[in-house]
Order: sequence, then C-alpha cells, then structure tokens
Amino acid sequence: MDLKFSPSDDAFRAEVRSFVADNLPAGIREKVQLGYEIEKDDYATWHRILFERGWAAPNWPVSHGGTGWSATQRHIFEEELAYAWAPRLLNFALGRAGPLLMQFGSAEQQQQHLPRILSGEELWCQGYSEPGAGSDLAALATRADVRDGYYVVNGTKIWTSYAQWADWIFMLVRTSVHENRHDGISVLIVDMRSPGITVRPIDTIGHDCKLNEVHFSNVEVPLENRIGDEGQGWKYAMFLLQHERTSIGGGVATARKNLRQLRELVTATLVDDDRLDDRISEVEIALEALALTELRVLAALSTGNAPGPESSVLKIKRTELQQTIGEIALDVVGPYVDTDVESRYFDLRRTSIYGGSNEIQKNIIAKRILHL
Amino acid sequence: VDFSLSPDQVLIRDSVARFGSTYAAASAVDPWPTFAEVGWLGLGAPAELDGFGGPIEISILVEQFGRHLVAEPYIPQVVLAGTILREAGRHHELEVLLSGAERFAVAYEEPRGRYDPAYVETSASKTAGGFVLSGEKVRVAGMKGATQVIVSGRDGDEPALYVVPLDNAGISRRDVLGVDGHAVASLCFNEVQVERSARISTDGTGLQLLELGLESANAAVCAEALGVMSAMLDMTVEYTKQRTQFNVAISSFQALQHRMAEMFIELEMVRSMVFLAAMALDSDTGSSVPRSVSAAKSYVAQAARFIGQNAIQLHGAIGITEEYELGHYFKRLTVLERIFGDKAYHLRRFSQLSKQGVN
Repeated sequence: MDLKFSPSDDAFRAEVRSFVADNLPAGIREKVQLGYEIEKDDYATWHRILFERGWAAPNWPVSHGGTGWSATQRHIFEEELAYAWAPRLLNFALGRAGPLLMQFGSAEQQQQHLPRILSGEELWCQGYSEPGAGSDLAALATRADVRDGYYVVNGTKIWTSYAQWADWIFMLVRTSVHENRHDGISVLIVDMRSPGITVRPIDTIGHDCKLNEVHFSNVEVPLENRIGDEGQGWKYAMFLLQHERTSIGGGVATARKNLRQLRELVTATLVDDDRLDDRISEVEIALEALALTELRVLAALSTGNAPGPESSVLKIKRTELQQTIGEIALDVVGPYVDTDVESRYFDLRRTSIYGGSNEIQKNIIAKRILHL
Repeated sequence: VDFSLSPDQVLIRDSVARFGSTYAAASAVDPWPTFAEVGWLGLGAPAELDGFGGPIEISILVEQFGRHLVAEPYIPQVVLAGTILREAGRHHELEVLLSGAERFAVAYEEPRGRYDPAYVETSASKTAGGFVLSGEKVRVAGMKGATQVIVSGRDGDEPALYVVPLDNAGISRRDVLGVDGHAVASLCFNEVQVERSARISTDGTGLQLLELGLESANAAVCAEALGVMSAMLDMTVEYTKQRTQFNVAISSFQALQHRMAEMFIELEMVRSMVFLAAMALDSDTGSSVPRSVSAAKSYVAQAARFIGQNAIQLHGAIGITEEYELGHYFKRLTVLERIFGDKAYHLRRFSQLSKQGVN
C-alpha cells in the first residue's frame, strides 16, 4: 500500500495546472466561477483547446485518441480542471456514446463517429427515459419496427438533456415483444436531423432549461444504425449506466469548488458562527472521504476490473453532498437576496434523480453487493 | 497511489485475524507476551529497536482487533504511549515496552478538561532531586497490566510529561471496568515524588508530544472502529437473510435493504477515512496530520452511531440481549467513537484548524 502521490504525479499535476492557467479563456472561467450559463460555443471552444492538446478524452484508450493515463492521473486532471474553474466537457458524447461505440459498435460506426466525438464536432444525447419508463426503464415502449429496409421509430423520450444541441441520439427502442421485458430491447443511433423528430424543451424550477421531450413519429433509421445485436440493448444500457456513475473525479472536485464558493459566501454575508462553520466542516470532511473512495474505486478499475456496483456508492454520496452544499447556501443567504442560490438549490434536486435515482442505487447495492 | 496490501501487510492482517478468531476476552492467559514475541508491540518503533512498519501496519492490525473484538489495551499502551516515547527519544522505555516487560498507560485527561490535552491543572513542582506531582487524572485507558504511567503536569507555563511507576507512593487509583470490558482508572497524584529523569519532554514540548501520541491513537481508533462496524454490518446482513417473518426472509423488505445499503455506504466512507488518517501520519507533511485525524475521527464517530444503532435495530430484540455478540460490538464501538475526543470535539478542532488556514 502506498498512499502518496509520486513525484511524477506531482509533476503531472503541475503540467496540467499550467496548461489550464495558460489556455482556459478568461471569459469562460468567469462564467463557471459565477455560476452563469455556459453557452454551446463555450463548450465547443474549451473542447477544441483540450482536443488540440490531446486531452479531450482522458477515459478513452490510446487507440481511439485517449490519453493512456493512469487512474491517479485522471483523478489529478479532473481535480485541476475543476479547481481552475474549467467547465466540464459535455459528457453524453465523450462519456457515453464513445464508450458505447467502442464497446459494442461496428468498425464503420466507430470510424464515422469516434473521431468527430473526440474533436467535439459531434454532440450527442441519450434516449433512455420515457413518460412511462423512469426507474423502471424496462417498461420502455418506443418501438422500432422494420419496414422497407429501415427501422421505423415511434414513441417519446423524455428528460433528454441537451437534445436541443445534439447531432445524434443513442436510444433504447423495443424491436420485439417478449415475456421478459429485458428481451427485445435494442440500441439505435439516430441522426437528430431525421424527419419526424421534434424536440420540445422542458422548463424546470431551476436555472437549467436543458431538459427536453423528444418525439419520434415514423422516423426512418437505417438498419446499420443498430448498435450490436438486435434484442441485446438492455445489456448495453446497463454497461453504460455503470459507466455513467463511475465517470469519476469531476464530481468531488466540483463539489469542493462549490464548497469553496460557499465559504466565500459565508465570509461575505455573515459574522462568525461556529455552528455554521461546523456544518460546512462536516461537508468538507465527507468530501475528503468521498474523494478517497473515488480514488479507491478508480485504483481498482485501473488494475483491470470492470466498474462495478460500487459506482452506486459514489453516485449516492456525491449527489447527497452536492445537495447539502446547496442547502447550506440557502440557509446562509435567506430568502429574496440571491435568487441564484435558490435556483441552484432547485437545480440540485435533479442530481439524486438522474442516472438512476438514489433509491434505485440502494437497490443495486442491496442486491449486487450485499446479496440481499 | 496504491491501495493493495503488500505481502508483509497481508501477513500481519492474516496472523492478527487468526489470533482474533480464537481469542477469548475472559481467558486467564495474558496474550501480551505473545504480542511481544510476534513483534506486534514493535509496530511503528524505530528499526534499531527491531521495530517495523508504521501507521498503515498499525491500522491493519487494529482493524482486525476490532473485527474480532480483541479487548487488549493495544491502542493506549502501544500506539499512544509508544508514539510518545518514540518521539521523546526514550529508547530505554521503548525497549521495555517492546519486550513487554513494562506496560505504559497515559494519563492526560482531567475532570474539567473534556478531552483537551492542553487543559492541565496537575502540577509538577521542581524539587532538589526532581519533581512533585499533584492532581487528578480521569479516563486513563490501558490500565490492564500497566506498570507505569505517562502523566502530564505543569512545572511552569507549559505542560510537560513524566513517566511514573504506578506503584509509586502517593498514587491512589479507582479502577473501573469499562462497558467494553477494558480496564480504565481515575488516578490521584498526591504529592508524588519523581526523579528528574522522569520528565520525558524537553522544555515546551510536552503538549506537542502528547498531541502526536493522540493523533496516532485516534487514527488507530478509527481503524479499530472500522473493524467493529464491518463485523456488525456482516452480522446484520446474515441475520436478516435467515430471519423469517411474514413467511419470508426479512432481508427481502426494501425498507431494510435500503438501510443496509446506507450502512454499507457509510462503512466505505469510514474505510477511506482510515486511509486518510494513516496516510497523513505516514507522510512527512506534518502540518496536515491534526486536520486529517480530526476529519477522520469526527466522520467515524458519526458513522459509528448510524451503523451501530441500525445494526441493533435491524436485529430486533435479539440485538439488545447481553447473550448475543452484536451488543458487545456495539459497546466497544460506543467507547471508540468518544475516546480521545468525540465527534463534536474533533469537528470543532477541524473547523478551527481550517480557519487558521491549516491544510
């Protein structure tokens, strides 16, 4: 057991730090720091800068343009970016579509999409949830019927983040009906410009209006746009969900950053208050624990193990802590003073809902770790 | 960064687990000579005294003590006293500690001091030949088999530390058996005469030595608590799987499943905190030690309440019987979460250190 960062880790940290300091545009940094909305162009600009440095996809294998970094290096990278107020790159393409294509896509699909995802030219969204299929994802009813050499897709996806910007969607569809609902599900990748797709934005109680409802009406999708085998989509979807929960590093670093803002807010707003100090300390301490837990999960991954159900532990704890920080900020400012704080509190409600609600995560821990 | 155990560390873990699985607290045979023989008393001691390992090896050992509920005064006598003697450069006392010939308790808490090692009313007046100690110490852990006591007293502005044989004239003791079966005592020092060489701290370093000892002790307390809690969660999971009500195993109920999932999450966080504390002690960046240890202790203390109470709750009434082992774990845990400072104490300490800009 060696719990120290090595000299080469420290050197790597310094390298990342100076790169970000020199290359992150001040305008983007300020937006992140002040909690303003990050525009599509901002994401694209920062993506391009990282891409040109070869750092756009730390989690990808070198063969597809990834960095080949160790788990520790990835951890350091995420930390440094967060500390420097860099925006996190949009993750549905890099973090979901990419791994999906690498793991299960055909050579043609990989060639068509991976380079464009890596360079940031192609944005993606994820078509999982439906009006009748939330936690019970296998209840999904969007159909894809083969007709005239196409899949014809009909149905509705909902809570689809960034669908308004996406060039492509990877989606779960039902290609046949079976007694076991996990059978007969397939994954399709669909061009968002296809005729028959309508995207309707959904306003939320917070700042964030990036949720959408995506309606599919007789959308024709070429058969070669299926990922992997027909009917095996559930397996692929579960792979991706675990990937999503393990998309590590940024979570804690972002929470730490928010905590730092909270301390600044307290200093600016209030006189000394020991009880408040202690509440903030409790979050800070729990974040230390979470950061190390993440590092432990990452370390296990880098020795060749697949991301397992322990990713559920991270997801629950990370989102709970983010929400607690938002809650303390709410208590610090009181009503009618800083609506950004309130909006953030509202925005944070979603974190314990998305990616499989925290209750679903507890089911996973109970079944797959404790074998209850 | 590498979290896997080295072959030596695996050896320690497995041999302590083997010892623990056959350990009986009520046994008439004192295992201390065995501890000396196999080298467990030398963890963290300098190599020239045949010591080996450090904070990480200690945490591996005491975690197994926790899992198997080994009620021996390892943390107060080896970790706390041993660290103080090592840092004070008292090789003679360390040698007899390592051989098991002498056993040292540490007396620092006072009735009005509430965990704070800087609160010292006990006086140590200089005399021609040495010092005269007067005062009262409470909650002196590690009294089982102790022959000497390291005691804090003031001979001026700063607290200093003295090593005193427990049979010295003028020491009266009130022995108490803790709820966890560990021997503790209150000690009254009534004009106890000691020689000049009894003072083990040089000018102004007494408190610092004591705090260093307490950081190591608290890191070890966290590790033992981890062992206790992991045993309690395992017992709870097993129990709910075999306990049938409404014609099904109660582990099939979602309310209970979620509770156990939450206990598991907290246990994983505790494990990370044990690493955090050991890591801080193991590295040379001294300034982060108090902050990391207080972070760990306050987190572990809070998790101890959650995991301990819910382990009892999920067992139902059997969990509160003296006959069943779970309650014994709960008792030990309830001591560990408060010994050497409870959650509130360490949280406050963490906040203050943070305010002073200590990282």
